[in-house]
This record gives sequence, C-alpha cells and structure tokens, in this order.
Amino acid sequence: MSDFSIIGKRTAMVDAAGKTTGAGKYTDDLTLPGMLIGKILHSPFPHARIKRIDSSRARALEGVVAIVTGKDAPNPYGILPVGHDEHALALDKVRYVGDNVACVAAISEAIAENALELIDVEYEVLPAYFDPEESMKAETDLIHENKLHNIEKDYHHVFGDPEKAFGEADYVAEGRFIANEVTHAAMEPHSTLAAFEIDSHTGKPGRLTVWSSTQVPYYLQHKLSLVLDMPMAQIRVIKPLVGGGFGGKSEVIPLEIIAAIAARAAKAPVKITYTREEVFWAHRGRPRSIIDLKTAVKKDGAITAVKARVVQDGGAYCSYGVVTILYSGALLGALYDIPNIQYDGYRVLTNKPACGAMRGHGTVNVRFAFESQLDEIAARLNLDPAEIRRRNLLKPPCVTINGLRVQSYGLPECIQQVVERSRWKQRKGQLGKASGLGIACSHYVSGAANSIIRSDMPHSTVNIKIDRDGGVVVYTGASEIGQGSDTMTAQIAAETLGCSLGRVKVVAADTDLTPIDIGSYSSRVTFMAGNATLRAAEQVKKQIASAAARKMNCAPEDVVFREDKVFRKGDTQGQSPTPLEPTQAAVSVSGRVEGQILRGSLQQKRKEEGQKYFLTFEEAVVAAIDFHGALTGTGSYAPPPEARGGKHKGAGVGPSPAYSYSAQVAEVSVDEDTGEVTVHKVWAAHDCGRALNPVSVEGQIIGSVWMGMGQALEEEMVWKDGMLMNPGLLEYRSPSSTESPEVEPIIVESVDPEGPFGAKECSEGSLAATIPAIANAIYDAVGIRLHESPFTPERVLAALRARKGAKPINLTEGVDPTAPRRFREHGGALWFRGKGPERHPLDPARREAADAGGDD
Amino acid sequence: MIAANFDYESPRTLSEALELLSSREDAKILAGGHSLLPAMKLRLATPALLVDISRISGLNYIREVGDRVSIGAMTTHAEVVSSDVLQRSSPLLPQAASQIGDTQVRNCGTIGGSLAQAHPAADYPAVVLALDAEIVAVGRGGERPIKALDFFTGMFSTALRADEIITEVRVPNTEGQRVAYKKHHHPASGFAVVGVAVRLKASAERIDTVAVGITGVSHNAYRAVAVEDSLRGRPLGAIAAAAARVANDVDVLGDYYASAEYRKHLAAVLTRRALEQAAGVRK
Repeated sequence: MSDFSIIGKRTAMVDAAGKTTGAGKYTDDLTLPGMLIGKILHSPFPHARIKRIDSSRARALEGVVAIVTGKDAPNPYGILPVGHDEHALALDKVRYVGDNVACVAAISEAIAENALELIDVEYEVLPAYFDPEESMKAETDLIHENKLHNIEKDYHHVFGDPEKAFGEADYVAEGRFIANEVTHAAMEPHSTLAAFEIDSHTGKPGRLTVWSSTQVPYYLQHKLSLVLDMPMAQIRVIKPLVGGGFGGKSEVIPLEIIAAIAARAAKAPVKITYTREEVFWAHRGRPRSIIDLKTAVKKDGAITAVKARVVQDGGAYCSYGVVTILYSGALLGALYDIPNIQYDGYRVLTNKPACGAMRGHGTVNVRFAFESQLDEIAARLNLDPAEIRRRNLLKPPCVTINGLRVQSYGLPECIQQVVERSRWKQRKGQLGKASGLGIACSHYVSGAANSIIRSDMPHSTVNIKIDRDGGVVVYTGASEIGQGSDTMTAQIAAETLGCSLGRVKVVAADTDLTPIDIGSYSSRVTFMAGNATLRAAEQVKKQIASAAARKMNCAPEDVVFREDKVFRKGDTQGQSPTPLEPTQAAVSVSGRVEGQILRGSLQQKRKEEGQKYFLTFEEAVVAAIDFHGALTGTGSYAPPPEARGGKHKGAGVGPSPAYSYSAQVAEVSVDEDTGEVTVHKVWAAHDCGRALNPVSVEGQIIGSVWMGMGQALEEEMVWKDGMLMNPGLLEYRSPSSTESPEVEPIIVESVDPEGPFGAKECSEGSLAATIPAIANAIYDAVGIRLHESPFTPERVLAALRARKGAKPINLTEGVDPTAPRRFREHGGALWFRGKGPERHPLDPARREAADAGGDD
Repeated sequence: MIAANFDYESPRTLSEALELLSSREDAKILAGGHSLLPAMKLRLATPALLVDISRISGLNYIREVGDRVSIGAMTTHAEVVSSDVLQRSSPLLPQAASQIGDTQVRNCGTIGGSLAQAHPAADYPAVVLALDAEIVAVGRGGERPIKALDFFTGMFSTALRADEIITEVRVPNTEGQRVAYKKHHHPASGFAVVGVAVRLKASAERIDTVAVGITGVSHNAYRAVAVEDSLRGRPLGAIAAAAARVANDVDVLGDYYASAEYRKHLAAVLTRRALEQAAGVRK
C-alpha cells in the first residue's frame, strides 16, 4: 500500500465531463437578457496620431446602442506597475496595426460589424519602427515619449568575474542566435462578457460583473478598478471554463476592459469575442530575440563563464516585457554550475503587437542558444554532449552566483533516463544517412518568489468549508485553464482530509467567492495554491481530529484520516484491537452549537449500528460541526524569504521556491534535397518533484514537446512593415496530435522539501529543451548548426548548401510588397480583411483604389 | 466574420440552376463551399445570389464509360479517395485526393468546385492536366467538353463562362501506365506549396509516354512541357536532368513560406521524385 490514497494516482480531470460532452460553459457560451455584442475597430496603421474620430454615421445605424473611444476611459494601465503604458482604446496614438480605436455595442454581431465601417477616423501617419536594432537608434517619433531610443528597459548584470574567466578559458565559443516570434494559439479565442447592475431609479450603473477567459481574475479585477475608477469591491470577476492560455490570458487583454467600458456606456451587458485574427493582434507571445552568446570552458568541458547580450523585439507596449528580459538573464543560472555570468538585456519597443508571457516565459529562446552552443563546444572538445552536461551539474542545496536557491535537483537523473531510454551510447552517430540524435536540458520556476504586485500578501490563499454531509468545498482563486488546477486542488484537499475525491467540489476563480490568488502563470499553481490548499485542509482536519479524538478516546494527534474513514493510529480500518465503547460513541459532546436537528437521529443511528471501531468521514465531520459550528479552514502560501533572491537591480525576477528540470533526446531525419526535418521520437524526462497526477504530468510534458517542436520547425509570425502576414491558423501552424512524433514522457521525482507532497513545476520547463534538442539532432544528422528558429525547410536547405559551399539560396524576406495580392491569394487558403493598410476598409488608399475602379 | 446579405436558392434540376445563374450578374454557384464561404465571411466575395447545387440529383457519381471514368462534379474528395473504380482504372486522382486538406475538407469539398475555383495551389488541377482529362461544362447553349489543357487560364481563372456549370470530369483509364503524385504541403493550410502529378509509360530503356502536371508553383497549374520533351523517347536515366527544367520559362511565385527560388528548387526535386516513383526506381 502506497503512502497516499489519491496523490500519485492517474486521475481523470474533475472537469473533464463538461468539456468532453459540450455541457461545460466557456465565456462565449454565456448570454444575458438584453446582451449586446461588441466589435472593435482596429488601427490600419502601425504608428499614427488620431486626429479625429467621427462616429455619427455609425451611431445612426439602427441597432447600434453605444460607441466608445479612448476618451470614455482615459486612465492608463498595464500588467506591470512599471509599465502602465496602455489604453484599452487608444487615446491619442495608435502604435501597431490592430491597435484598438473604438468599440461598437449593437444588438447583433452583424450590425456591430457594419457599424465599424461607418466610423470615420482621421490619422496622421507617423514613421514606424519594425526592427528592434533599428528602433534602438530612434531619436524622434518615439513610440512612447518617455522611453528614449524606444528602449523599454535595459539591464546590465555582472556576477563573479567573467572577464578574468574568459581570459583564462581553454576555449571560447561565440555566436549569434535568433529565435523568431511565436504566439500561443490557444484553442479558445479571448472572450469577455461585462454587465453592470443598473439602478432602476437613477439609471446609473452600479456593481460590475465580468466573465472572462482569463488566467488571472484578480489582476483583471485590479485593472478594471483602475481604468473604470471603481473600487475593487464593486467589481466581480468570474472565470468560466478557459480553453487554454499558455500566457496569452495571463495579463489584461484590451477586450476585457473594452467590454466593460462599452457595457457602462450602453447600460446593457456587452460580450466581445475576438476573431482568430484579433487574437493574433492581441498576441502577447514570445518576442523575437537576438542573442549574442559567448561561453568559456576549460578543456574538461567545465563552463567557467557565460556572456549574453539579448535584444527582444517587444512590440508597442511594455506588457510583461520587463519580466521577460530579466528572466532571459536570470535563468542562465540554476540549471548548470556557472561561476561567472555577464548579462546585457534590452527590451525594445517596435510598432507591432505587444509581446508578453508565453509558456517558458523568458527562458526558451536563450536556452535554445545556450544548449546549441554547448553542443558546439562538446563537438569542439570531442566530448559526448550528454557528458559535458553532466560535468557542469550544480551541487544542491546551493545558491547560484546570481542569487537563485536550488534545493531539489533531478537533472542528473533526467539526463540518465533519456540517455538510457534512447540508447544514446549505442545509437548516437549510428543511425545512418541524414538521421541523428540530439540532447538538451532546461529548467523552469515553480512560480515567482516575488509577485509582480509589490506587497507582502501571500501569493495564494485557499478556504475550505465542509458541510454536515461530508461534502468538501474548496474556494481557490487559482484558475483552471485546462492545465489541471481544479483537479490538483481537489486531489490535495482529498488526500489531506483522507476523503474520497468525489466529495470535493472546487469553487475557483470568482473574486466574490474565492480568496486572492495571483493566478495561473509561471507554473505557480501547484506549488503555491497547492501549498495553500494543503494548509487549509490541515486546519480543517485539526478541527475534525479534535472532535473525533473525543469520540474515539484518543489524542487528536493519533487520529488518522484515510479513505473516508477516521480511526486511531495503529488501528487498521474496522479492526480495532481496543474496541470503542458503544457509550463513547454516544457520549454527547457538549458542542457550542445548540439545537442541532440531526443530533438525535444520528445518535439513534449509531446505536442501531452497534459497536464501531472507526468513524466514517461524515460522522467525524458531524462531530466537529456539532462542536465548532461551521467547519471552515484557511491556508495561505508565501515563498520563504531565503528563496526570494539577491539584492541587485532586477533581482526580483528569476527566484522561485523550486525549479523543475528537464532533459530531452530528439531523434530526427533530414531530407537533404528539400531541407525538410522530421522528428521521429522525443524522449522527455522531467523532474516535477512529485507527480501528483502522473497522467496530467505526462500530458504537460507531451504538450510542451509539441509546442517546442512547433517553434523549432514551423511556427513564426512573419511581418512586413508592421503587418502580420499569417494571422490565422490556416497560415500559422501549431503542431497537433496529427503531426506529433512519438513522445516518451519520463517522470523524475526529486521530492522538493517545500512543495506540496514534494511537487513542483511540470507544465513549462520541458518546452525549452525541445528546440535545442532538435537543433542538436539536426547537427548530428547532417552537420549543420542552425542559428535561427524555426528550422524551416528553406533555412535548412540554405544551411546545407552553405556547408557544401554550393550556390546560396535566396531566403524569403517576407513578401514582395509590390505584390500583396499575390501573397493573399496564394499564401494560404484565406484572405484577411484589414490585413494591412492597403486593404483596411478605412484606408484612404483603398478608397481611392475603389473610386478609381480598383477591384480590391 | 459574417457574410454580407445574399439570396439563396437550391434548385432541384440543372436547368433551373442554369436559369438562376444567368438571372443575376453576381450569382455564384455553391458546391462544397470550402473556398467560397470563407471568402464570403471575410466579405472578399459578396455574391448577391448563391445557387446551391447540392440538391440536384445526378451530379454525384463515378462510373466507367468505355476507356474513361466519368466523375460527377459534386463528387467529394473523400468519395474519389475511396472509389474502387478509380483505384483500379485511374489511381492518380484518388492518390492526390487523399492528400487534399484534412478529413473535413475531403468530406465537403467537391471535384467540380475545386476545379472551378482554380486555386493556384489546389491539388486537382495538376492531376487533370497530367491525365489529359476533360472537364464538361453545361450552359444554356448546351454541353461543352473543355480539355484540361485549355481550362486553367490564370490565377483563379478558367475557361468556364459565367453562365456555365461544371457537371462532369472525364479521366482516361490509365491501366498499363504508371502514375504518382508528390506534394509538399503548406504546414498550416495543407495547400500544395508544390504538387507534381505524373503519368508515365516506360521501360527501363525508353520512356514512351510522359505527362507532368504542376501546381503551386505559378499563377495556375501547368504542364511541364520542357520536362516531357526531354524525356520522351529517352531512358529513365534522363529523369534527373529533365526534372530540373520543371519551372523553365515559368513565372514562379514567392511568399512568406517559400521564396520563388526555393519553390523552384522544390518543384525540381518533387518532379524527379514523382517521375522516379512512377518509373518504379524509387519507393
């Protein structure tokens, strides 16, 4: 018998039935009486001043109820306290194609859409910046007036003495890596429904309720309060089912605020659901990163120093950018033992949709560069790529040179596992023509030790209430977004209370009901909300134990909870060596609650049942409720001070109470004629501390590999003068089960001393290893080192030709701007209205073309 | 994402459909709807009248007539894939159809609709060209068979007249010949970045008959005449050199996924592979 009844068991998601039968409700499924549909007018220009907005023609359209613009809510906001640079609707300037200009609320989607074409906006077009390295040189027409040279933020960190280490190195590798921009592509497009209570006497809007596809209801409540000038207590945010987030719903997205602004003006509920194209414009994905990396090693492969300069193309707003650029530097540490680090990070503004947090936030692109370079070094030093990684392991418990505390560390076993299972030693270099194996490692935080909100409040608080019938209700602010948050919460509560999973009902992510939790991102939920759940459950359990102990005539510490029974330590269920006296069970404990209706009948029931050696969970609960009144408990979690990192500027980002570890081996083949890469199998080992639900952990590992493979091979947002050339899923492909290689997920359990039951992160860390594992496998297969992701057939072919000294191939540089129609009609199946200035209905050029008899 | 208003008719007979088609200048035929409906949702197509021909009986069939196979215009890609008649008598069509889009697309899209749309990256155009197929159009003036070679006139343009409806596609029985379809599909849309359809009759020493249809490379699908000319009467060993001419004198398209140069290269590689597969020298 294992130590646990529920933890570690393969458990179906508690919300699976609703999702699989279609009964579950996502935000877009919701309707309210009198609800209007909101549609947003987007900017056709990448950078322009708004001179005038005339919505009178649109207002006159029958069925249009309200039209709102930036003036209706002029307070700026942003997800980071240092980055309040956004307006849900542009106030004076638009900063990217797709920026939000106005919103129409109408009685139908069709009317709202028609009305958009009747809003007249006069723009003064400004010079725009699309390339981060060009943007950094800007002197005039800055994207935000207070950001000189369009630099959102730059950081310069030196830990140890990197100069000296480079001077004394046996070998120094140096190279530039580019990881192109990718986006989340969550299955559910963003959707928000906002409704005010309207005072029937004054007609004034009162309390606001917002249903939204968010990863962080609390942040949304906070930003709504800021923008709408309303106290938080007057705002209720409810998160219905969410169809995936991956970071794209971890900050406040414009439609969430726009819906509320429109609902206030319309005095009616307003729902806005983004089209897929709008989801691409809202973006907040992983920024294009230019990484100049230098690594110093000794002959034996020991890394002595790393120097990284990272430039991130952040788009037009700060978003999570300051955090992203800090993670990119901080997470150079805590995977390997690196004694000297120099980091120069630049987060640069450009006239494109803002980048933000995306699965593996900040670490993925730098990890691609680092692990690729480590592979180069191994080849140069004639070392096995797995061996060079082993030679640079940390020796935990330790604190890294950049202030990250590492306690549990399953990386050695992860490497061991993938090496053994892939038969690395026997098969590496033996796979035949144009096939190869590559290895890479990665890690990630189990939540940030420092919250982005500067306050001392716990990062998660959970309440538990138990009813007389033994039903357990857990109230948590943690957001189920498909990752298994609710299931994890139910499992921890049930395990701790020794009751069956079916008794536990999770009420989550409703700011009126659930205590504050800072949401589902940076893989913090299991560690933080899990610990809070554990503590809340233990608090309730204590109350039950003291009541049960009285009944069973033992000390409360000796009461054991397991599988819906409560018994004395040493007794096995139903077989008590010292039977409870029947009278003991019937003794009326003098509870503080008077007039219990059930007491008499339950006592009668117990008498009829005769002698008992244990209490059922329900009986124990009743006993406790009889004594205490309501049976409730609260638990919270705050990361310990020693996990919160160093003192340098920017030290707040990177520290985590625990890190997950991954190692992967990828097997690929390369078609040398076409440049196509096929991934045949990925062995992916992940140290998640303890697998609370192995099937869920495996799912996260497999999903991470797919997402990593997407970024490695085909995902790339292609831009042309600030226009996204592939804003749809028929043009931008994320791999699905149909193109998945075989993935062998391997769970490694290092049992973290502070994680709930030893658990830590499992949903992001694996992703970062996949890209370099594939890159390194391609090197093994055909001897080319790819410095730019994704490794499209064209890029691979170009590298193959370069290696052979053959005539270089002319790489695609976006699209011929003189022939947009050619792209539009040929590049994919679809054509997008508003794809760019020349095609947007409001673009004067388009009108002229139409007047001139153009056929656009 | 909502189409502009339009009228809708679903006639039961072809003559009614033809009548309706001519009744309005901006009337459009709705077959499987896989190209037209997305364009309408984006308001890039705003037909005033949709004539849905799915209820006309007798447009969905695959039957052998002499040394040809006739395929009704409303036959779906999935039906082409699973047709025993075609598998036996003219397998190039099902081979290519199985690579169109995904299951949903294959279940809805029709052969007539795809050919009339003439998407520059659709799969069927290369196939009907390689097969020397005939596309039968019916207008108020009666039936008009159009040679595949004459059918594709440009990007999204065909020899079809505004008042005509495709009713049938006739492909030859290719028993005794070898066929192959090779495609590099766009990872997201599934369309052919390059698609090569090949029909071949050859011994090891001599190629007697060769036809190569190319899609995805230029404004419309075309026959790679330069390749065919340099193979006819030559041994199989000539394939590699001949394939390199696949895009000679062709305006090759480039886009964000594949530059013109890469596309041209890909076309040569896939042409060689398709020919070698058909010739039995490559798996």
